[in-house]
Amino acid sequence: MSDDEEQYDPIAHKKLLQSISNLGNVQHIRKSTRDERQPEQNEFQLFKSAKATEHAPKAVGVNDLVQILRTSKHIETGKKLKNVHNTKKVLQKPLEKPVADRIKRTIGYEGVKKKLARWDAVVAKQRSAETQIFPIPSETVYVNTAAHANAIKTSIKSELGKELQASIKKLNDLRKAQIGDNTDEQELAQLEEKLLAQKATRDELHARRRELAYLRMRESQKSAKARMQNKIKSKKYHKLLKRQKVLEQVKQFEILKKTNPEAALEKLNALEKSRLLERASLRHKNTGTWAKNLQMRAKYDKEVRKDLAEQLAVSRQLTEKKVDTDSEDENQTTDKIETSAEGSFDPFNPWMTVKPTENDESKAKEDDVSWRKYWTERNENEKRLAEHSAQVEEVKRKKRQQTTQAIKELPKKKKPRIIMENGWQVEEVEEPDKATTKSKTLDEIFDAQQDNLHNQINHKLDKLKKQAALLKGVTKKSKKPKIKHDALKNLKDLTFKKTKQRVEIDEPLNQDEVASKQALTAIEAVNDLQKSKEEKKSTPEVADIDPDKIVSVTWKQKLRLTNGMNDALADDDAAEFDEVDPKAERQMLISEAFEDDDIVADFNKDKQDDSEVKNNELQLAMPGWGCWGGAGISQKALERRNKRLLLKLAEPEKRRDDNKDNVYINEASNKQARGHRVSSIPFPFKSLADYEASIRTPIGRDFVPETAFRMLTRPAVITRKGQVIEPMDESELVKPDRRLRHVVDKRIRRQEEQAQKARLLLVD
Amino acid sequence: MKVKMISRNPDNYVRETKLQQHKVPRNYDPALHPLEGPREYVRALNATKLDRVFAKPFLCNLSGHRDGVACFGKHPKLLSTLATGAYDGEVRIWDLANRTSQRSFVAHDGFVRGIAYARNGERLFTVGDDKTIKVWNTVAPDVGEEEEPVNTILSRHILHGISHNRLDNSFATCGEVCAIWDEQHNDPIKTLKWGVDTLHTISYNPVETNVLACCASDRSIILYDQREAQPLRKVVLTMKSNKLAWNPMEAFNFTVANEDCNLYSFDTRKLQTPLKVHFDHVSAVTDVDYAPTGKEFVSGSYDKTVRLYNAHQSHSRDIYHTKRMQHVVCVAWSLDNRYIFSGSDEMNVRMWKANASEKLGVIRPRERANFNYQEALKEKYAAHPQIKRIARHRQVPRHVMNAQRKMRAVKEKELVKEANIRKHSKKGKVPFVSEKKKHVLREDV
Repeated sequence: MSDDEEQYDPIAHKKLLQSISNLGNVQHIRKSTRDERQPEQNEFQLFKSAKATEHAPKAVGVNDLVQILRTSKHIETGKKLKNVHNTKKVLQKPLEKPVADRIKRTIGYEGVKKKLARWDAVVAKQRSAETQIFPIPSETVYVNTAAHANAIKTSIKSELGKELQASIKKLNDLRKAQIGDNTDEQELAQLEEKLLAQKATRDELHARRRELAYLRMRESQKSAKARMQNKIKSKKYHKLLKRQKVLEQVKQFEILKKTNPEAALEKLNALEKSRLLERASLRHKNTGTWAKNLQMRAKYDKEVRKDLAEQLAVSRQLTEKKVDTDSEDENQTTDKIETSAEGSFDPFNPWMTVKPTENDESKAKEDDVSWRKYWTERNENEKRLAEHSAQVEEVKRKKRQQTTQAIKELPKKKKPRIIMENGWQVEEVEEPDKATTKSKTLDEIFDAQQDNLHNQINHKLDKLKKQAALLKGVTKKSKKPKIKHDALKNLKDLTFKKTKQRVEIDEPLNQDEVASKQALTAIEAVNDLQKSKEEKKSTPEVADIDPDKIVSVTWKQKLRLTNGMNDALADDDAAEFDEVDPKAERQMLISEAFEDDDIVADFNKDKQDDSEVKNNELQLAMPGWGCWGGAGISQKALERRNKRLLLKLAEPEKRRDDNKDNVYINEASNKQARGHRVSSIPFPFKSLADYEASIRTPIGRDFVPETAFRMLTRPAVITRKGQVIEPMDESELVKPDRRLRHVVDKRIRRQEEQAQKARLLLVD
Repeated sequence: MKVKMISRNPDNYVRETKLQQHKVPRNYDPALHPLEGPREYVRALNATKLDRVFAKPFLCNLSGHRDGVACFGKHPKLLSTLATGAYDGEVRIWDLANRTSQRSFVAHDGFVRGIAYARNGERLFTVGDDKTIKVWNTVAPDVGEEEEPVNTILSRHILHGISHNRLDNSFATCGEVCAIWDEQHNDPIKTLKWGVDTLHTISYNPVETNVLACCASDRSIILYDQREAQPLRKVVLTMKSNKLAWNPMEAFNFTVANEDCNLYSFDTRKLQTPLKVHFDHVSAVTDVDYAPTGKEFVSGSYDKTVRLYNAHQSHSRDIYHTKRMQHVVCVAWSLDNRYIFSGSDEMNVRMWKANASEKLGVIRPRERANFNYQEALKEKYAAHPQIKRIARHRQVPRHVMNAQRKMRAVKEKELVKEANIRKHSKKGKVPFVSEKKKHVLREDV
């Protein structure tokens, strides 16, 4: 040992010297040795690297490599390496840390969202389940291990079986040989595959790599091109690009028109929208710098003038309104929209309408672009259809009139009618001729009046419809931007309506006592005030049926009809009627609907029936009793006796509502029962009928059979005592429906299936 | 002396054999039962009354701690075991079936901040104010042996809470940062940080086990994924959230107990608006825990009451309180959906029934059928005013009543003021803001 110590070891000696020389600037903190994986370096484990690197060998750089390669025979490689080193691209500056973090966070959150969304279906099912059993029944496989159980189907073949199989194969081979086909195709294919798999060697791999490289290059080229194109500022370029795009679209539209008219319509809508946008953007007005510059030159240059004119023409074409504000035209358009049953159409859309007259149409045709042509054609067809239906109606009406007037057999001058396109008729305005009016019969006057009224109602109805359509359109438009991407849409879509609705009471405990003690008077007062104000301001949209009002309107109408004997008078009436506010109109419509029933009379009759005393007197005499037959029995005595036996009951009290018209007081109602009744429909129920149905069915053993009782009283949540309920497991996502073992479960399942079948049949 | 006796003839009520069925001649023709509706109504009324008569939710009081109870740890496998930590650093393991303390040891200096069982229940993790995570064996040491932790991990940061992953060997702590740990290592695998706030609770999602959530002192709730390098999202509420509990059956829903007397249920995918705001507490809500069925949760509050909520309703279905129970600090719902534990400031752990009027012990099938029938009846007639009144009547402590009245007055006043402002300003200028939207300030990306 001592020998070893004395021996001179140059390396050790050098180290010793070095450490001695380093004593002055000792590094106290050493580089940490890692014994445990650490995601981040602690600041206390950092060491100064400046001194250490002085003595440590430098890292090998690319230049050193190149230098070495130059001296050797690999000069070419060295050059290449140098080239690569010089031509390397500088990577883009990374994003700032907060921004990068935010991106990372959003990506992570999206991922988690997606992961969580997997549970939508399971959760929806759980929520809508009528009964839930916890712990969630795990998937169990039942294997019958009993001795008498059926043997497994894939049994091992016996010796005899194997021999048989071999002999069959041999036979097949022989047959093939007879035909001349001495090879098995399947085998060949397999062989080929194997060979191919072996061949997927270096060349192939190289080729694949090249292909991939090519693809990557293409991708980068494309992205570069896109970036460049985005940077182009030339207006001309963009103009051309746009024109090209439009042309392409038109072409597509032409094709679509023939193949898929619905898609074509959609396309048309899109085009229309782009046109609208352009129209709104005030382009082609010759107010831009380009136009101003050109205007200066326009004096001298004919071409420029032409350009400007063209531009203006474009603007005119764009801004041209294609709708006449004439009410009739509007009616027409709405009607058409209805008949075409295209809900998505914009009623404002000027392209959807066509000028009513022929020459206009032809004019329009000239400057129409092809898609507009398509639409006009379509419109025409519809128009023809409407005309046809109107004519049919006309014929029917004539027939009716003829039958009613058949008795009188008066030769009546038929009113010439102009048939409007949308299916309703308007009388032609005639010169008021007194002689003719006098000669008109009563029936004729009535007819005319009726027609007039009918037309007006139709007219108003159309107007209303149009308004409704407009309103609908407005609401749709206002809604559209509001529709955000709902993260829970999937879950909502997946949730079923519960088959068995249960009352849910979601109010604080002791609510009744609180409510009785304290009333939210102040807020309610404020709110009521506001409400009443609003009501005064705006008439309610929905026509609620108030019997009184209806009746009054009905009477009014009757009066009008009886008064309107004279044509002139009737016309005046009509004019007045035209100006009546929409409220009255609505009432009118409703009253028409209820024309047949006289509500007041019905009510009074009901009341009378109810208040009528059925039997005020009770005859106690029974036929035969005390009636002795034979002579000497006077009728008088009998009557007297009957009178004696007639029990007169006390006069019934007068009804409380006896002298109150329009009031019915139910005297049979029980005051005590009032406290037990439900005053409003409880939460999940939407209609009284639903709630009543849920209450009506008895669930007790005394009223329904035992199995039904068990089914109806099944609790919503079933848990087992002493069992841990594990949280939802991932296997739940892929689990098939549980095999039902409980009788009640099976029965419920069967009933559901039957109900579904019935529903399907109904649909069919 | 005369002795009165009740004598019964067994022939009148005992069947001849066990297998013999009672044949009840019965005609179910509804025409023969004209009063079936009223009869059922009366039965429902009686059932409701009986329900209130038998509503005695308080089961027992587990006393033994010498300071306020700070946190609970539920054993994932054993129903009769509960671990509780106190303000003085003591941890007690309770045998719930016998209502005794099995084991107790001082785990930390200062508060025990969190307790979590490992996924198989063999180890117990506790964190305390002394910046250590201690791992304990769940098997008690032999007699004479000292209680010693299996492992003690010194953390670089302050620790406020701990939660164990349900499916793998990782657990997470919160404090200054959210740290993900592996059971085998003494250094966190990952630390997740967003800002410099204190995180005071952490909770792993029991279903989607990579996701976890924290509540921070800057009034925010932060979502994490243990695989990601960055936190996911942050929602800031108007006040601080005290606790967070995930729904064990609906992977994406969680509920937070907030300082502003309310609880908020969120869907992880839509954090701008809570799904539901749960009212009724009159003071800060300190803790919340879901029932294992995911249909209900329990909350404890500074107002000395425990309330039970249906997860989809905004008002509580029941309220538990006793005279001696002080501020409730922690609550837990047992894993068999039957019991509730509450730990409070005054050193006691209390055990309650989850269903106040439930009959404990063996229930025979016929009894069970009858209970089911009563339940069904109560549900069917729940909306009838008399039944509703009886079913929803609770005796509440006076201080709670007074606080409720005060809160109601304040709220009413605010409503009136808002209505007045609305009335006197331009239409649409004072918008109607739903209660849900009032409490979420912003969602940070």
